This record gives sequence, structure tokens and C-alpha cells, in this order.
Amino acid sequence: MANVVLRSVNKQFGEVKVIKDVNLTVEDNEFVVFVGPSGCGKSTLLRLIAGLEDLTSGEVHIEEERVDHLAPSKRGVAMVFQSYALYPHFTVRQNMGYALRVAKESKETIAKKVNDAASVLQLTEYLERKPKALSGGQRQRVAIGRAIVRDPKVFLFDAPLSNLDAKLRVQMRIELTKLHRSLNATMIYVTHDQVEAMTMADKIVVLRDGKVEQIGAPLDLYNAPDNLFVAGFIGSPSMNFFDGTVINTSNTDVEIDVKDSVKIKFPLNEPSNLSTGDKVSFGVRPEHFTIGNTNQGTFTGEVYAVERLGGETYLYLYVGDQKEVVAHMSGDQKIAIGDMVEIGFSLKQSYLFGPHGDAVR
Amino acid sequence: MSMTNADYEKAKRNRTLKLKLWLLFLILPPAAILIVFVFVPMGSAVWYSVFDWDGLVRKEFIGLANFQDILFNPLKNKVLFNAFMNNVKVFVSLMLVQNGIALVIALLLARNPKGYRFYQVVFFLPVILSTVIIGFQWKLFLNPVFGLVNKFLHNIGLHDWALPWLGLPETALNSMLLVNSWHWFGFPTLVFLAAIHRIPKDFIEAARLDGASEWRIAREIIWPLMAPAITIITVLTFIGSFNWFEIPYIMNGLEGSPAGSTDMLGLMFYRTAFGSVSAGGSNFGSGSALAVLMFIFIFVFSIIATKYLTSREVEMN
Amino acid sequence: MRKFTTRALLVAAALSASVSTLAASELNFWSWRQEDIAAYEKIIAAFEATHPDIKITYTAHEAKAYNTILTTALAGGSGPDIIHTRAYGSLEAISGAGYLEALDGQVDLSLLSADELLGTTLRADGRIYAVPFASQTVVVYYNKDIFDANNITVPETFEEFKAASTALKAAGITPLANGTADGWTVEIMSGAIMPNFYGSGFFGEVTSGATDFEDARYVGALEKMSELAEFMPTGFEGVDYATMKALFTSGAAAMFIGGSWEINGFRDAGINFEIMPGPAAEAGGERMVATWLDGGYGVNAASENKEDALEFIRFTATTPFAQMLTDELNNVAAVDGAMSSDATLSRVSSFHSAATPYIMLVAFRFDTPTGSTLLQSGLQELMTGAKTAAEVAADVSNGIKTAE
Ligand SMILES: Nc1ncnc2c1ncn2[C@@H]1O[C@H](COP(=O)(O)OP(=O)(O)OP(=O)(O)O)[C@@H](O)[C@H]1O
Ligand SMILES: [Mg+2]
Repeated sequence: MANVVLRSVNKQFGEVKVIKDVNLTVEDNEFVVFVGPSGCGKSTLLRLIAGLEDLTSGEVHIEEERVDHLAPSKRGVAMVFQSYALYPHFTVRQNMGYALRVAKESKETIAKKVNDAASVLQLTEYLERKPKALSGGQRQRVAIGRAIVRDPKVFLFDAPLSNLDAKLRVQMRIELTKLHRSLNATMIYVTHDQVEAMTMADKIVVLRDGKVEQIGAPLDLYNAPDNLFVAGFIGSPSMNFFDGTVINTSNTDVEIDVKDSVKIKFPLNEPSNLSTGDKVSFGVRPEHFTIGNTNQGTFTGEVYAVERLGGETYLYLYVGDQKEVVAHMSGDQKIAIGDMVEIGFSLKQSYLFGPHGDAVR
Repeated sequence: MSMTNADYEKAKRNRTLKLKLWLLFLILPPAAILIVFVFVPMGSAVWYSVFDWDGLVRKEFIGLANFQDILFNPLKNKVLFNAFMNNVKVFVSLMLVQNGIALVIALLLARNPKGYRFYQVVFFLPVILSTVIIGFQWKLFLNPVFGLVNKFLHNIGLHDWALPWLGLPETALNSMLLVNSWHWFGFPTLVFLAAIHRIPKDFIEAARLDGASEWRIAREIIWPLMAPAITIITVLTFIGSFNWFEIPYIMNGLEGSPAGSTDMLGLMFYRTAFGSVSAGGSNFGSGSALAVLMFIFIFVFSIIATKYLTSREVEMN
Repeated sequence: MRKFTTRALLVAAALSASVSTLAASELNFWSWRQEDIAAYEKIIAAFEATHPDIKITYTAHEAKAYNTILTTALAGGSGPDIIHTRAYGSLEAISGAGYLEALDGQVDLSLLSADELLGTTLRADGRIYAVPFASQTVVVYYNKDIFDANNITVPETFEEFKAASTALKAAGITPLANGTADGWTVEIMSGAIMPNFYGSGFFGEVTSGATDFEDARYVGALEKMSELAEFMPTGFEGVDYATMKALFTSGAAAMFIGGSWEINGFRDAGINFEIMPGPAAEAGGERMVATWLDGGYGVNAASENKEDALEFIRFTATTPFAQMLTDELNNVAAVDGAMSSDATLSRVSSFHSAATPYIMLVAFRFDTPTGSTLLQSGLQELMTGAKTAAEVAADVSNGIKTAE
């Protein structure tokens, strides 16, 4: 049961609080991704688990054992660094076998484990090379190989693909997912790329400013973001937000006025504590717009840019008082710049957030 | 107003010419300095070394006789060998003591202890003091009658340890080596520290995750990645050791007192070329020959050492 | 009366200097005696008083660098008109190179002894290139107050010297201030102790080649020398010249073996001292002092004012000059006829009746390695017990034989 549990984890650098009361459970064999904007504390949280930083307060448990007092090497974790951190003076073989050599494994064991990992990662022919003589993707694989060879309980990845080009990134993404499945290992993966997060994760942890904003399966976050931040962060392009004012509330719905132009009756699944006059945000994802009026809600705007990708089209419009809105359509739409267009949406695929950014459902 | 092809060519030539002039301008001053202060003296030393110049006037051309005299005259080569072995001892000791201490301090400072800046400045302070003053100060400190070192040893009850440090053949050279180490260790410390800081933190953290002990990290990760700094310091220490002059001259005199135990090639060169009250008159021919031999030795070994050490260096990424 | 003459000369000089400055030939006079500038200016003023058309500028260079500065200047065709030279090997370096004017025949040298003239003679042509100016003598200084306070009678023989030292040591006083850190001070010390053991005949025999330094007399003298190590300061191996002087002038040490040039300094330090020659080998034995010529005055062969320079050199060979040297500088002047009013200096002069050449400087400083280099290093090893007397003697002897 190589699970990882964080309890009330706090980390402070001097006076600056970087991680604030993080509670998290990573199940055995789970692939968990930390996402969040740059500087939000993803790497720090990962390093706290690895033991490269000391906790200010809280507890870290791995496999039901408290480990935050243990040295990094005693925690059964392996880490893949963003920079790969391959020792430049060692060959690929020496790099991959270093931990085993330190652990005084026999020569035969080391050779076997390194060879096995190398064949899984298709590195066999590069074993005698120095890292300098490898491509970015190969280095990446060596770094992963170095982790695999140690047979850790938990793999930690710190933005391992960010130095690769787009194509290689897609390829490695798939390879890592395959690897996760074949190794049956617990993996914690840091990225700022939300596509990586959505495609690879069993569970995503959205961090902001050192705090957990939401934890959940990728589609749960997409479909039911807990707050404005998660709603804006998950999904690409980002959700469109419209400022609105509550003009009427009942037990079943909230009536809002979106910037004096559109009135929307938002249905409620649960009671809200909104009251008349509250400032709210109303959100629609670009991909949930359709051309033309729907009877649930429609915006009218002037197109100022169109991106045609053949299979899909992005429309950029000014709605109301110069409010920029993005709409994502499939197929090639016959719309030109300057056209006045009506875009409609369905209330089921729209979101409402209260004055403090909490989702209203 | 369009430019013809020829105009373009001309403009291009003009630009390369300007670039060449600019390069020339940059290269000329250092080249001139090099010629005037390095090649000319070196050339004249080689030239002088093939003349009989015992005394003030240059006499006839004698080929390699001066070299033969230094290397094979049993009395002179005894002095030469003694001085040479002392220089070797200086090099080995400075590598171990001065640079060893510097390495340990650099490794400690690299962990950013409290007061890191303060220590860095304090350790570097002796480097900027004048060698002459340091030699003189330490000569006073080590004075057997009223020196601070022996006073201190007496005060803490180590009466047997209060030795005439600079007067005993067994301790004179070692004392001077310690003084030199004290004077200079801040310099290798700084170079090593810069080299350690240049090593990405990830390497060390990766090794730590791999379970390597701090000692092992220092030996297997930091040390090899510091190789360029080690090369520089080794070669500089080598050159400095074989040209060592000021400290021995100030602290134990031109004759390498006591009984030649602190004699150095540099002192021997000075005595031979310029003479001294005790050692007799000047002999530029012989002195130049010694200088040429020293130069060749230092030059050749520095090159070999640099080649060898550089071959062990690795680029970081 | 003598003092009066000097003063009169000085007054005359001052007057003449203010009157006749034109048409003067200007001479440069270089020396290493920085501490003697005032005295030399007085002496020069006296000379200028009688030679109004000659003007001499005295320049003293740093002693250690003097040889280099002088030889560089001479080699470059410049250099002063009048040169304060060292003696023996150092003088040969410049006289042999032809930079000095031969003086015999041009200067009356009748007031100088053959021994003294030897120091300024070029062995190659037998001619004299400088007028010897002063000699130095190795003596034993002792602190009278300490001797009195401890009821020590002034020792005459080596055994008495050791007995006195033992008594002083028992009283908690360092008997001998001498150390070995500066090689040349040990050689000086040997100049007081060893001659009385190797005897007056040895110098002639060893210089003529009739014997060498492995001679039993010389080895025996070295052994006696080594017996004094126990009376030297604790840590004498590290005691240098400055420390030796500090020990003696502070009263921490009772005796100091050194050159006659220390007299002024010790007197300025205010200690009540007296001097004696090195102790005799046995009762009634000879008590010789080692002496050597400190240097001389020569004329630059390339000088444009050679005749005027020679005129000054002639002056240095006269008794009035020797008298001024004695009065102003407490030097033991080489030129005969000067009388010292200073009791200590007179004593030094009286020791000269039993003088012996300071052996390595006078006879073995012409080749490399010099006798001094060999002996100094050997004595350091002897005194620290690193080598026996026989081994040291063998080293010195072999070294001198092998030197070309
Ligand atoms: N050693 C440290 N000392 C002080 N502050 C630090 C230290 N390490 C990180 N921080 C700060 O902590 C915050 C979180 O840093 P962290 O590296 O965890 O961010 P991140 O989410 O990984 O960002 P990125 O996506 O850019 O890698 C940042 O504001 C950073 O400046
Ligand atoms: Mg990061």
C-alpha cells in the first residue's frame, strides 16, 4: 500500500509562507498531478514529500509510516528533476546504477536492473554514453530510468517534460502513462501544463498560493469546479466570465443581470445564500457556445478575430461594453471579422460563482 | 537612389575592415605588454645564459657550459637538488595543507551557514595583506625569545612545544609553509566556492535521494565537477611553489637558513645572479642559465599538468 | 686641540661654501653607509674648505641593494666619481671588470699597512684600487653590571669563559646573546672563538694549500665552538641578529660576540659594557681577534673629473681624514696616526697587536660557493647538533676544494 498522506503540511521560508495547511491523500498506484500557476508551491510540496525540504509543521506518511523525520534516501521515493540532474561525468549506465552502487548492491544485480530498465526505456544502445551525447528526450528517459532502477514506492516528477518540444512532449506523455500502468507504482507529477494534468492524472490537485483549491478527477474538476480559480484554470481556452448582479432569488433559481444586457435565470440544485444586489460571476466555457440564439441565453457581439484550424474555429468577440469573449466551434464557420454574431449557451453547461468565487450549483 | 552590387561589396568590405581594425586595436596593447615584459626578458635570459658572465662584465660565449656547471658540478648540483627538493616539498605541502584546508572550508561555506558572508571576507583578508608584511609579522610571532607563538604555548603549559620554529631544520620550512598557507588559503577557498556554487543544486539533491552520504557526495559528485577549479589551483600552486621567494627570503634569508633547509630555486637564482654578502659576487651567466632551467621545468610541467587535468574535466550540460 | 682643528676646518668650510660656488667641479660620492650621512657631510665640508673648486655630493644607498645598484650603474657606463667600495671579493668584482682607477703611483699610501692594502688589491695584477678606510674586529662584549652583580671575574681562558657562563646560567641569566638564525652572526662568533684554538699559523698554511680545513687544529676549534651551544639562549636556533641585540641591550644576556661596529649602538642603548678578545685556549695562550678591512674609497675609471676625484682620495689617505673618521664615526681607521679619545675604541685598536684575518671573508670569498656560505651552513648544523665537527670540517674543506 504505497500511499502518501499529507496532514496539515506547512512550509515557510523565513517569513514567507509557501505551503499553507495542505491535506492530501494519494492512494496506492494512483497517478496524481499537482497543477497551479508558477510559484504556487508545487515543487515545494513535492520536495517536502521527497525530504529535500524540511516541514515547518505537519506530517508526511508514506505507506502508513510517518517519514517526515527521515532522510530523503530512507523514504523509498525516487525523483525526476526538471533539469534531469544527470551526473555529467558518469555514463548512462553509471547514472542509472548510482543509487544501487551506493546501496552496495552486487555488480550483477546492478547490471541486470540497469539493463532491464534500459530495455524498457529503449536506452540499451546508449548505456556507455555520457549524458552530453544524448538528445533531450533520451536524457529524459535516462532520468526516468534512474528512478525506475531504484524500484521506489513512490515516483516524484517535477515538470519533467517542460524542456521538451511539443511533439516529444506528447510522445513522452503517453509513454509515461504506459509506464505508470506497467509499473503499478504510485506517482506524483508536477506540471503547469493543464493538458498533461487532464490526460495523465487519476486525480488532480489544483494549488494556488500554497493552498489546495480543489482535488478531484480531471473531468470532475472540468465539470464541477469548486470555485472561480479552478474553473478558470482547468480547460483551454479558459472559461469566459461575465460580471453580474443578483436581481432576484428563490429556492429554485437565481435571476441575474449580466452587465445590463442579458438577464439569466440560473437554476439551482441546492439552496444558495445569495441575496439581491450581490455581485456574481457567470461563466461559460468557449466550447459550450453555439452559433445562433438558444432560448436559454444568448450574447450578441462583434467578431474582432477568427482563428480557423480547419476542423475547428475560434471566434473572438466583443460583447456589450468591449467585453472579450472566446467561442470554440467545431468545423469551419463562415464568419468574417466585423460580423455581428449571436452566440448561445445552455444553462446546464454554464456556471455561477458567488461574491467570494465559490461555485453556486 | 538604389545601390549597385559594387556598392554593396564595398560596404561589406568596409565593414570587415573596420572589424579587423577594431580587433587589432584590442589585441595590440596586450601583445605589446607581453612582448616587452615577457618575451624580451625571456629571450635575454636565454641569451645571457650562454655567456661567461662571472662578475660585472660579460665575457666570451661559452655555449652550454653554464648549464653544465649548474647541473653537473657536484657542489652546485647538490645545492640545486636540495633547493629543488625543497620546492617539491613546498608544492606537495601546499596542495595538501593550504588547498586541502581551502577545500574543506569551501565545502562548509557552500552549505550557506550563518555568517557566511562574514567568514568569506575574514578568510580572504590575509590574501590582500602584503606578503612582505605577513612574512615580517610572522617572523616576529615565531621569534623564540619574545614571539607570541611561544609565549602562548608557555601560557597554556606546552613548554616543550615552544621551539625556535624558524631556526630548526625540521621546523623552519614547515613553519613558513603554514604562514604561506595562512596567507593564501582564502584564494583557493574563493575559487573552490565559486566552483561548487556553479554545480547545479539538483545534482547534489539527486545524489542525496540516491542515498549517498555527504562524504560520498563531496567525493563522487562535487569533486569531479570542480575539476576546472582544481586544475587552475593546482597549476597556480605549482607555479607559485617553484617560484616561491618572498616568504623564505623575508623569514629565513637569502641563504635558505638554517643550513639550506629552506633553500629554494628562487633564492638560489637570486644569490647566483646578483650575489650576496655571504655568497659572493654576481654571475649573470650562471643565474640566467638557472632561470632558463626553472622556466623550462615550470613551463613543461604546467602544460603537462594542465593537459592531464583538463582531460578529466566534464562540462556540466 | 684636535677637536679644535676639526671645528676650525668646519667653520672655514661653511664660509667658503657660501663664497665660492662658481667654477666648481661637481663630484658624486656613493656609499652604503646611510647611518653615516651626517658625518660624511662634515668630512666633505672639511675637504671642500681647502678645495673650493670641488663640490662633492654624498649619496647613501640601501646597504643590501648597494652592490646591485652600483654594479648596474657602472655596467651602464654611469656611476659616481668617487666610490665607497667593499673589500676582498666584492672589490675584485668591480676592480677586475676595469671600473676602478688603479691608485698605486697616484696616491700616497705610505700610511697604510700591507695587511690592510691586501683588502683592496686585485690579485690578478697586484695593483691597489681603493684606499682602505676602516677595519672591523670581532670582540666579546660583556655587561659589566651583570658580571659585578654575580661576582664574575672577566674570563681569560676558554675554561674560565665556560665556568663564568655556567655561573651566569645558574643565576638565571642567558650567558651569551648569540643565536644561529642568521648565518653570518655564527660566522662572526666563530671569529672570536676559533682562531685561538687553530692558532696563528693556520691561516697562512690553509691559504697556501699546505693544509686544509680538515686539519685537526680546525676540527678541534670547531669542537670548542660547539661546546658553547649550551650557553646560548633557549631556542638560539631561531634567534636572529635583531633578537641577539635586544637580548644583550635589555640585560637579558650577559655577553655578545660581535663586530666592533656595535659599539655605538650599545652605547646609545645605555648599557654598561666592556669588550675583550676571545678567550685563550689555555692559560697564557694567545688571544687573537679576527679583523678584516671593511672597504675603501676608489675612483671611477670612467669619471670625467678623475683628477679632482683623485684629489679627494688622496685626502682619505691622510691622518686628518683618519682622525675625523675616528671622531665622527668611532671607526677603527685604516690609515695610521689617528688617536681615539674613546676608551673602547682604543681598546679595539690595542687588540690589533694580536690580529688574525677573518678567515673566510679575507681568503675564501672569491669563488662559489664561498667559504662563508659553507662555514655558515656548517656552523648552523654544528651548533644544533645536526653534524659533528669533523663532518662540518669535511663539508667546508670539500666545498672549498671543489669551487673553481
Ligand atoms: N529555498 C527557497 N527560499 C525562499 N523561497 C523559496 C525557496 N524555494 C521556493 N521559494 C518560493 O516559494 C514559492 C513556491 O515555489 P515553488 O518552486 O514550489 O513553485 P512552483 O509551483 O514549483 O513554480 P514553477 O511552476 O514555476 O516551478 C515561490 O514563491 C518561491 O519563490
Ligand atoms: Mg517548480
